[in-house]
Amino acid sequence: MSVASRIRKFPFWSWLWFILGALYFILPLYATLDFSLRMERGAIGFKAYREAFADLEFLETFGYSTLLAVMTIIVSVTLIVPTAYWIRLRLPEARRLVEFITLLPFVVPAIILVFGLIRVYSSPLEIPFTEIQIGTPLTMLNIGRFHLGTNILIVAGYVVLALPYMYRSVDTGMRTVDVRTLTEAAQSLGASWYTIIVKVILPNVRSALLSGALLTFAIVVGEVVLASFLGIPAFGPYLFLLGQHRAYEPSALTFTTFLITWAAMGIIQLVTGGQGQTAGAH
Amino acid sequence: MSFLTLSNVSKRFTDFDAVKEFNLDVEKGEFVSFLGPSGCGKTTTLRMIAGFESPTSGTIRIAGEDITERAPSQRNVGMVFQSYALFPNMTVAQNIGFGLRIRKESEDALRERVDEMLSIIHLEQKGNSYPYQLSGGQQQRVALARALAIRPQVLLLDEPLSALDAKIRLSLRAEIRAIQRQLGITAIYVTHDQEEALSISDRIVVMSHGRIEQVGTPFQIYNFPETNFVAGFVGTLNTVEAEVLDSKNGLLRMDGVQFKTSQEEMKGRSAGDRIRMSIRPERFSFVTEQNRKDNVLDCIIENITFLGSVVRIQVKIAGVIFNMDTFNNPFLELPKIGDKHQVTCSQEAVMVYSGEASA
Repeated sequence: MSVASRIRKFPFWSWLWFILGALYFILPLYATLDFSLRMERGAIGFKAYREAFADLEFLETFGYSTLLAVMTIIVSVTLIVPTAYWIRLRLPEARRLVEFITLLPFVVPAIILVFGLIRVYSSPLEIPFTEIQIGTPLTMLNIGRFHLGTNILIVAGYVVLALPYMYRSVDTGMRTVDVRTLTEAAQSLGASWYTIIVKVILPNVRSALLSGALLTFAIVVGEVVLASFLGIPAFGPYLFLLGQHRAYEPSALTFTTFLITWAAMGIIQLVTGGQGQTAGAH
Repeated sequence: MSFLTLSNVSKRFTDFDAVKEFNLDVEKGEFVSFLGPSGCGKTTTLRMIAGFESPTSGTIRIAGEDITERAPSQRNVGMVFQSYALFPNMTVAQNIGFGLRIRKESEDALRERVDEMLSIIHLEQKGNSYPYQLSGGQQQRVALARALAIRPQVLLLDEPLSALDAKIRLSLRAEIRAIQRQLGITAIYVTHDQEEALSISDRIVVMSHGRIEQVGTPFQIYNFPETNFVAGFVGTLNTVEAEVLDSKNGLLRMDGVQFKTSQEEMKGRSAGDRIRMSIRPERFSFVTEQNRKDNVLDCIIENITFLGSVVRIQVKIAGVIFNMDTFNNPFLELPKIGDKHQVTCSQEAVMVYSGEASA
């Protein structure tokens, strides 16, 4: 092969767009990292990281947000997987409606959502067109010092915020493996619904589930509006407050959350190694 | 008593009847194909036997037991899908053993059966492979083994070869038939490929618009089609409009040219009736001293097409083009385009139908 033909075959434009795209994402990240390392005048070091991690409130808020994220993921998966599965299997005509519903969190801002949630759940349930009120308001439901009602409310709010990402991930995963035919194949072999979902469907949408879970995790850990207005000690409001009073520590924590997200993505790659190929083989 | 019986089975979807009054008896060990164009109801009927669709009316029985209302998982029928439907997360051996595991067979029995099935489909070395590591033909063989591993009472195959290339299709259809004979299993095979149905089946059910047009052996379906649709759908057919000239002597007229048909074809018809006259291309031949009998027709050679084992010659008889097929051989003397010749066909070759033109 001649040098000229090699040059002709080099995909110049592909590489140019790839490099421009990569720079768009990497430059701000690099700037954040660089800034976070310059806390000490005239030196590069990890002082901002040490101080940020030394703050007990960081660990508490991050731990709390992680717990909320896990709860949100569990509720989302429990709600969305059977819904998406059933729509693919039995109610394909409902798909457009459900897709529209899942897009609503993009249309309705979180600030509207939180005021709506507070207004509805901070007063007792009222029977429409009457003045009869039933039960205790959800926000008043406490177990000792644990605000059960508020925690239920915020997880429910996060499930709504994560809905577009989780639903789309799961639905795409199910489309890739043709769940309808796989279900029928399993049924003809005598499998019960439980076996079909646990042994056939879930393993084949595992990659999609993990992607949805990762996005949900990222949304919940960084969320500020809902957590601030419901007055809960989450990581988002903590980072926001820290940013108002400190310069270097928020950058250090932002970069750390990026690393955690990447680590999660790496775990997904490890856990689902070869899944893409397998899923395509139907 | 028949092994699989469908009695007056109908299926109505919201706005149309997919299957109408379907009646069929299938004997144990028989290989029956449902043949018809897209939308004729063949797959819907198969899915009703599998339990994936519920009949609007009628009953389905296997070995005398009414399974009409039974869930698909409780029917003990094996199903092979067009898209293979292998579980991508499981190896070949796990796929084949899936149904046995559900039936809680012991590990030893399961392993023995999986090995037996792998040997039947000649994929002994592929037990630990994943579906994506196999070719399309291999995947479909695994799907067949998986369906057969549970020892189903009936094996259902829904266009299993449609996604494969022509060569693999030929070898796999022979393999499917051989395995079905070896195991003596009752099989229902859905296809829109007439050659596939003719080559593989004990009997064929030809369907159109949700109804059975004809049930018969491949020989009966091809040589003695009962309706104009069957005649047109199975094989190639020359169909023209004609008029009954003399029903007693089986004489027909097409654009001034006279054809003679058998007495059988003239039953219930009288002179002046407008009918459809059909002749298969291979029933024509050039006139020789030996075959000069019933229908000797003047023609002009219009076109000659080489189709491999067959040469198709288009001849014009009284302004109408007819296809004539003759077997290819290296010493075949072909006429030239524009030549005048005489062709002939026996009176039994001239089939007569009422109604619309064939499909």
